[in-house]
Amino acid sequence: MDLPSSRIIAAAATLCLLSAAVLAQEGAQARRTTNAPPKPSGATPRTADGHPDLTGVWNALGDNLNGIPNQIANNGLAIESDTTTRDLHSGQLIATFPRNTTRPQNNEQAERAAALLRRVGSNKPVYKPEYWDTVKNFDHNSNEEDPSNNCMPAGIPRAGIPSYIGQTPTYLIFIYPGQGGLIATQTMYRMIPTDGRKHTPLQELDGTYTGEGIGHWEGDTLVVDTWGFTPNTWFDQIGGYTHGENMHVVERFRREGNTLTWTATVEDPDFLLEPWTTTPRVALLNPRPNALLPESLPCSERDLSHLVTKEHH
Amino acid sequence: MKTTIARTLLIAAVAALAVHSIRAQSAPDRVKVLRAAAEALGMVRWSDIGAGTTRLPGIDVVNTMEFQGSGTVESAGRAVKTQYHVALGYNPPAMRVEMTRTGPDGGAAQHIIHTASENYAWDESEIGAGLVPGKGTATPAMAALHERLLELWTLPYGVIKAALAAGEKTTVSIEGGAPVMTFPLSGPLAGITVKATLDSNNLVTKVETRPDNPARVNLATQTEYSSYADRGEVLTDIKSPGHIIRRQGGRTLLDMEVKAWESNNPYLVFPVPPNVKAAATANSR
Repeated sequence: MDLPSSRIIAAAATLCLLSAAVLAQEGAQARRTTNAPPKPSGATPRTADGHPDLTGVWNALGDNLNGIPNQIANNGLAIESDTTTRDLHSGQLIATFPRNTTRPQNNEQAERAAALLRRVGSNKPVYKPEYWDTVKNFDHNSNEEDPSNNCMPAGIPRAGIPSYIGQTPTYLIFIYPGQGGLIATQTMYRMIPTDGRKHTPLQELDGTYTGEGIGHWEGDTLVVDTWGFTPNTWFDQIGGYTHGENMHVVERFRREGNTLTWTATVEDPDFLLEPWTTTPRVALLNPRPNALLPESLPCSERDLSHLVTKEHH
Repeated sequence: MKTTIARTLLIAAVAALAVHSIRAQSAPDRVKVLRAAAEALGMVRWSDIGAGTTRLPGIDVVNTMEFQGSGTVESAGRAVKTQYHVALGYNPPAMRVEMTRTGPDGGAAQHIIHTASENYAWDESEIGAGLVPGKGTATPAMAALHERLLELWTLPYGVIKAALAAGEKTTVSIEGGAPVMTFPLSGPLAGITVKATLDSNNLVTKVETRPDNPARVNLATQTEYSSYADRGEVLTDIKSPGHIIRRQGGRTLLDMEVKAWESNNPYLVFPVPPNVKAAATANSR
C-alpha cells in the first residue's frame, strides 16, 4: 500500500470513529436531560397509629447545595426535555438549548452558571419596598453577609429537608448535617412534638435558629408550625432573604413510597408583603436499610479572607 | 484485501460525512442564528455541579437585571441631561425606569419613575410607591403600557427571548452581510414587528420596531447597541451594551452611556399596587 492510500484509510477510520463517538455522546445526552424529581416507588409504611412513617435517612439524591437535579428543581425550574424548561411558579416556558458540547466547564464557568441558574426562577418572596435594597445587597455581597457562611446554623426553613427523621407516637427527631466548603454550616437537630401541645406565646420565647416547632397531622401530611426565631438567618439557600423575629414558618412533609415532598410557607408581616411558599422539594429515601448519617466535619471557614471578587454561589 | 478494507472504510467515511451533512442542512438557519445570538450575549448556561452523571441542556439564565447610566433623554423637543437607573425582569415581564433629569439651565432636578409589569403601567412617586399605606403614590399610566413594554422587549435579551418565543414566525436573512432576525411580538405588543441586526460577533447591534397600524407611530423605534462587555460587579459572563441610542423618526429619544449592568438575577420585584389594578379593571369595564 502506498503512502497516500494509508493516509486516506487513516483519515477514513478517524472519521468513522469520530462519527460513532458523536452519535454515542448524543445518545448519552438524550438519556439525561431532565431534572424531574424521583417518582415514588414502593408502599408507604405506616406506624401503629396509622400515620405515614417518615423514619429514615433521606439523602439518596445527595445533600450537596450545588446538587443537580435537586438544586435547579429547588429553585423552580422543571427541565422537561433537552428543548423544554418550565418555570414551576409562573408556568412560563424558558428557552432551552440541547447541549452541543461534551467539554466540561472549568470551575469559574461552572460557578457563574450555577449562580445564575439558582436565581433565574420566578418564585421570589415579595418584601415590603423598604427592604428591597437590603435583600438585593445581601445577595450581592453574600460572601461576606450570608450568616451561614461563618459556621452558623442555616436555620429554618433554609435547611430544607432533614437528612434523618426519627418518628415516635409523640415526637419526631430531625437531623440536618453540617456542610463544609464556602457554605459552611453547623449541624442542626430539632425535636418536634406531636402530642397536641400549644405554642408558647411568642413574646415568651428567646429567638433560636430552629425556633419552637410543633407538629400535627393533616391526613397523611405532617405539618410543622414554627415560630420563635432569631433574626440572624436567611430563609432560603440563596437570595439574601432576611427576616425578623416574628417570622412564622409552616412546613409540610408528605411521604409517598420512597419519596418525601417538602414545602415551607414563610409569613413575616414585618418584612413581607405577603406569605411566600417554597417550590416543593423532593428527597429520596436512602435505599440501604442500615444506612447511617456520616459524621459532619467540624465547621471551619477558611475561604472568605482569600476571596478577591464578589462572585458567589 | 488491503484494497477491500480501504474501500470499505472510504465508503463508511463518505456515509458518515453524508449523515453529518444532511443533519447540518436540515437544521434551520433560524435555530443556529438564534442560538449563536443567545450564546454571544452569555444567555445560555448549564450546570452539572454536584452530579457528574447529569447532562442537562442549556437554559436561558436571564431573568432580572439592573443597570445605570447617564446621557440625554428627549423631553418636549429638548435633549435633557438624565441619570438613568433601570430595573427589569422577564419572568414576569416588568421594567422600572428611574430618571433624574436636570434642565439645560441647571434648574431643579426632576425625579421620575415609570413602571410596567405584565398588563399594567404606573408612575411611582418613590420606589415601591402604593404598596404600603402611607408610602408614596402610584399613579396608573395604562396609556404608556405599550411604550414601556417595548423598551423591555427591544433590549438585546428581550429581542432574543421574543425571537425564540415567536418560533417559526421568526425569519432570518442576510442584509449587507449581517444576519437579520425579523419576528412579531405577542401579548400586549401584538401587531408590532421587530427587525434585529447582529454584528460579526452575533451581538444585537440594531433593533427596529414597526407597528402594523401606522397610527401607533409612538411604537416605531430604532435602537442601537454597542460596546458590549460584562459590566457587573458580580461577574457572570453576560455581555451588556455600553452605549444605547434610541431614535424615533429623526428624533433621538435616548442617548446613554452605561456605567454598570448587574446581570446576576438580582432581587428585583414589581408588585402591582392595588389602586393600579383597580383602575385598570374599572377602565376595562
